[in-house]
Amino acid sequence: MKPLINYIFSKTVLQVVAISLFSFATFAQESPKEEDYFKIIKMIAPEGIVLEVGGLTVLPNGDLGVATRRGDVYIIENPTGQRPYFRKYASGLHEVLGLVYKDGALYCAQRGELTKLVDKNKDGKADFYQTIFSWPISGHYHEYSFGPKLAPDGSFFVSGNVAFGNEEWWRGESRVPWRGWMMHIYEDGTMEPWATGLRSPCGLGMIDGELFYADNQGDWMGSGGIVHVKKGSFAGHPAGLRWTGMPNSPLKLTTEQLYEVVGPRQNKNAEGRYIKPENVVDEKFVTLFEAKQKIPELQLPSVWLPHGVLGISNSEILKIPDGIFGPFAGQLLVGDQGQSKISRVFMEEINGEYQGAAWEFRSGFQSGVLRMAWAKDGSLFVGETNRGWGSAGEANQGLQRLTWNNRTPFEMRAIRSMPDGFEIEFTQPVDKNTAADLAAYSVESFTYKYHPVYGSPTVNNKKHRIKGVKVSDDGMRARIIVDDLRRYYIHNITLEGVTSKAGSYSLVHPTGYYTLNNIAEGKKLVMTEVSTKNSGKTKPNASTKASASTGTPDDPANKKKATSAKSITYAALKPLLVKYTCAACHNADKRQVGPAFKEIAKRNYSTEKMIKLIYNPQPQNWPGYATEMPPMPQVPKEDAKKIALWIQSLK
Amino acid sequence: MKQHKSFSFIILFFCSSFCCTSATSQTSLSLNDLSAFQAPPTNWQVAGDATADMKEHDLLKTSAGKGILVNLPNKKVAAGDLYSNLQHGDIDIELEYMMAKGSNSGIYLQGRYEVQLLDSWGVLNPKPGDNGGIYDRWDEGRGKSNEGYEGYAPRQNASRAPGLWQRLSISFQAPRFDASGRKIENARMISVQLNGVTIHENIELSGPTRGAMKNDEVPMGPLRIQGDHGAVAFRNVVYKNYDKTAPILTDLNYKIYKGKFEKEPDFLKLTPAAQGSTFIINTDVNKIDNEFIIRYTGTLTVKEAGEYNFRLNASGGVGMLKINNQVVVPETGWGSGKTNLPEGKLPFELSYSKFVSWDKPALGLTLAGPGIREYSLSDATTSTHEIPDPILVAANTNTSLRSFMDIPGSERITHAVNVGSPQQLHYTYDLDRGMLIQAWRGNFLDATPMWHDRGDGSSRPAGTIIYFGAPNFFIQNLSTAQMPWVTDTAGSSFRTKGYAMDEKDRPAFMYFIAGIEVTDATTVLENGEGLRREINLKNAGANSYARLAEGKNIELVSDGFYLVDDKSYYLRIDDTGSAAPFIRDINGRKELLVPVQSKLIYSVLF
Repeated sequence: MKPLINYIFSKTVLQVVAISLFSFATFAQESPKEEDYFKIIKMIAPEGIVLEVGGLTVLPNGDLGVATRRGDVYIIENPTGQRPYFRKYASGLHEVLGLVYKDGALYCAQRGELTKLVDKNKDGKADFYQTIFSWPISGHYHEYSFGPKLAPDGSFFVSGNVAFGNEEWWRGESRVPWRGWMMHIYEDGTMEPWATGLRSPCGLGMIDGELFYADNQGDWMGSGGIVHVKKGSFAGHPAGLRWTGMPNSPLKLTTEQLYEVVGPRQNKNAEGRYIKPENVVDEKFVTLFEAKQKIPELQLPSVWLPHGVLGISNSEILKIPDGIFGPFAGQLLVGDQGQSKISRVFMEEINGEYQGAAWEFRSGFQSGVLRMAWAKDGSLFVGETNRGWGSAGEANQGLQRLTWNNRTPFEMRAIRSMPDGFEIEFTQPVDKNTAADLAAYSVESFTYKYHPVYGSPTVNNKKHRIKGVKVSDDGMRARIIVDDLRRYYIHNITLEGVTSKAGSYSLVHPTGYYTLNNIAEGKKLVMTEVSTKNSGKTKPNASTKASASTGTPDDPANKKKATSAKSITYAALKPLLVKYTCAACHNADKRQVGPAFKEIAKRNYSTEKMIKLIYNPQPQNWPGYATEMPPMPQVPKEDAKKIALWIQSLK
Repeated sequence: MKQHKSFSFIILFFCSSFCCTSATSQTSLSLNDLSAFQAPPTNWQVAGDATADMKEHDLLKTSAGKGILVNLPNKKVAAGDLYSNLQHGDIDIELEYMMAKGSNSGIYLQGRYEVQLLDSWGVLNPKPGDNGGIYDRWDEGRGKSNEGYEGYAPRQNASRAPGLWQRLSISFQAPRFDASGRKIENARMISVQLNGVTIHENIELSGPTRGAMKNDEVPMGPLRIQGDHGAVAFRNVVYKNYDKTAPILTDLNYKIYKGKFEKEPDFLKLTPAAQGSTFIINTDVNKIDNEFIIRYTGTLTVKEAGEYNFRLNASGGVGMLKINNQVVVPETGWGSGKTNLPEGKLPFELSYSKFVSWDKPALGLTLAGPGIREYSLSDATTSTHEIPDPILVAANTNTSLRSFMDIPGSERITHAVNVGSPQQLHYTYDLDRGMLIQAWRGNFLDATPMWHDRGDGSSRPAGTIIYFGAPNFFIQNLSTAQMPWVTDTAGSSFRTKGYAMDEKDRPAFMYFIAGIEVTDATTVLENGEGLRREINLKNAGANSYARLAEGKNIELVSDGFYLVDDKSYYLRIDDTGSAAPFIRDINGRKELLVPVQSKLIYSVLF
């Protein structure tokens, strides 16, 4: 056996080396990327097993429990070895979307109940499918149930998706009690309704004994984010408010009270049919934090995960344990189904509320990332599916593993709120010369609308002036003074110019998104102790000008661009596609969450029509796609035109 | 997970003729007497009812009356077959029949092509000679024990027990002959359904099957029912006879115009971008991507005057049909129209305007007429409807699979467990009520609706189903024996506890209702005749009852043995302790109740 194992091992190593050489050879001048630190490894599985992963849990002995959307539960022995062994522990369950281990048994949420799977006769296969608690369900396809997450006292949390209307197919509705709710369930079968306002609460996380959840963009949900779910809180979607009059409801907020603050826009056309609410560009709108002034039960996201950037359908929230993944221990990972990736979150507590920053962490999984669990060896099991929704990773399913090679990437480790700006902590010492240069930093802030429309454009966008920077003596921290900080807003903090001391590398991920629910108190910096050096004063101004331009047709520059449409290359356009998050869902040639740009080109839309569709998409034109495109009025017309011309050129 | 957009997909889908609207009316074969048959032999009679015996072979007990055709062969008279006065070519026929134990009969289309009727109760691997099989052809010249050939076994055994009514639907296409009488196309079983299950589809018959009335093939022949092999009963025989000549579309020309036309334009003012002639309506003649209109003109030669029904599908736009210069189907994406057509050569005009950018172009037109089976005037291979690969779940071992379950006339069952067995006997259990919802034989489940794409959470039985009535609790406390079964779920304190698997992976369900602790286990009867249900109870009171069955009628066959709901299944009481079951009448329906104490065992045979 041994020589064979050695052979396989060395072959694997060689392959890894080859891949690394290849990537370094190709991008010799570039800084290392996330894949140079975090590798995605395929998990060996018997042919024919459909692993559309809905739940993952690691047992105390290191075995991996996997629940699938097809209703099977496997226990995988030796899951990090060369030859994992799959044992079918249970089967015949109804779309399982969560799995935990507790006291010798597995627990999973099916569509309609929390089930305990017990192997009484110890033959490795469950023989008692015990209903802990059965909840009502109307039978609508979207009524998925997620969980459970285990609370420190051994009780469970399960969340439930809303259904959608029949005529108002866009409107989330709670047809039976506790859809759109978080349920708190005890082993003895009692259930305590815990919180509502949930729409599509696929991602649950138990972080240091506190419950968090991640929702998806949709009606009333401008973007995904992670929310601290306290008892009696309301996360924003009105459907579940239907049941706040029940005696055991922990909150009394009514649908009517909410609609007084933000109307539902249930309007009918001349034929008496409901009109789907669409984004109105020039309207007076309400943000979530403005609504909170009148509705104290509203729980703002601790950390927004900007839609299209840090995901489009956030999933599991998982804390990185001590001693794992180097500098990131103690932080959070958040999966994303549609973008097949994982984001990283640093949280801090200010004025009793959680808030913090989020970054991209690792993309490139083979299917949609739904579930994550820590292996005993410190690697991360990643359970994947995209059936029915599509994802950047094209496979329909997947069970993969993410491993770290113990080299520290040059990243922002943390961003902390300061009374006059932010303090950025790095994973490696910075080159003080670049870090002391104001041109290396840019800060913009924005938020979303709170309205019954599907998704929201980013609104109230603002560029902030950086007034000074102070780099710590050890080069591990940079504190920036930011003009006119805006409480509650998402602050995009981008460090394009800061390089590492060793190797002069750029940051692997140069942008973090900090949700400033509260501005930290404390001592402000004095201007005499900060650097105000700015090597590139004109640079930010130029880009401001560009995005403010309206691109009038008689602008000769535009005419020239229009006539040279065919010459727009993908390379030239890619930054725009990334900036406006088009690339989050669209690929030039291949179907992902949305149609390929090539397919769009085949529709022969005029440039004007295409720009209109960017601002107000018509998802009904694309019946084969599950996820709606949100309105993108934040794309300046000039850029929208460039994108439109490029799409046309693909035909 | 995100949201589903329930847009109305415009689907271009051509049904086979048997499932579609037809301008041909359905005719009932009168069974009030034997006048529908040519010189009926004496073994054939008309009766008011028939009941088989579960133990004795070839026995049907009849009662006086009308409406049921019974074959009672006996040794005293020579048993003969029955031939209809009806002569048929293409035909859709539906009938119900009942086999005596061990009996054998058959339906011969045109007296020549046999669909076998047999007591094949419980057969796991049916052959051409089993119930619903298309019987072998026969040729002595093929050599000993090799004479039989080209028989077709049913896809699965969808048979019921002797004495239960079974339903057979056949869609048959007669052989075609040219003017000289030479056969140019074989006969065909377009579809055969047995007890709701498709057991054959589109099977070509190269010639008469064994035992045909004659070995020749003809355009028209009688319906023949075999009567010399055993007792059998028939009722509700209905048919649609397609004996008339279908219209022919000829001189078909087309003109294509570029542009977006949501209403019919004045074609005279337009210049066509392309034109030509074609043999069949097919959008492939068009090369324009979107925003065009095709106008077909031609001649429809009608031989049979009468009412015709046209169905039109115009994917991604609108179509309009005119015949004899009259609008038959007005502008529609998907619609139909009826009209009376005279005999003769009639001007035909069909326009198709395509303007919805995201849809693929496709155009479908079918017609059905008096004595004319629905057929397509367009290229039936053109379709925008993609059928997913089916996801079928077999029960090669005892298999349980939860899903939503839809049953006729009820809300969706949301907490259902489907339990399947390799003996091909399966059932659905409602965890919200402790009720057996349905049982079926044959294949286990079609999970395509649940597992294809997002899915809707439901699966469907893939075999022949019997239903046990509207979902309700199985156990209830009644203040009097005549108190109606409560349909309101509030206050029942019903609570499911889940299920335990035995050593053979068969679930025993557990629940509480009204303070009673119930264990409920259903297993396959050892002889494969049906399902045996054993219920154990704790804390049942003097007023605790189980409702065993509900239906239009419940007949007591013998002590503890019942025929339920118009002979759709048998129910056998195996053990009630000392309690006596009773049949009661509630709002014109019958219910079989039994007081329960600690144990109840009964079986369902079907």
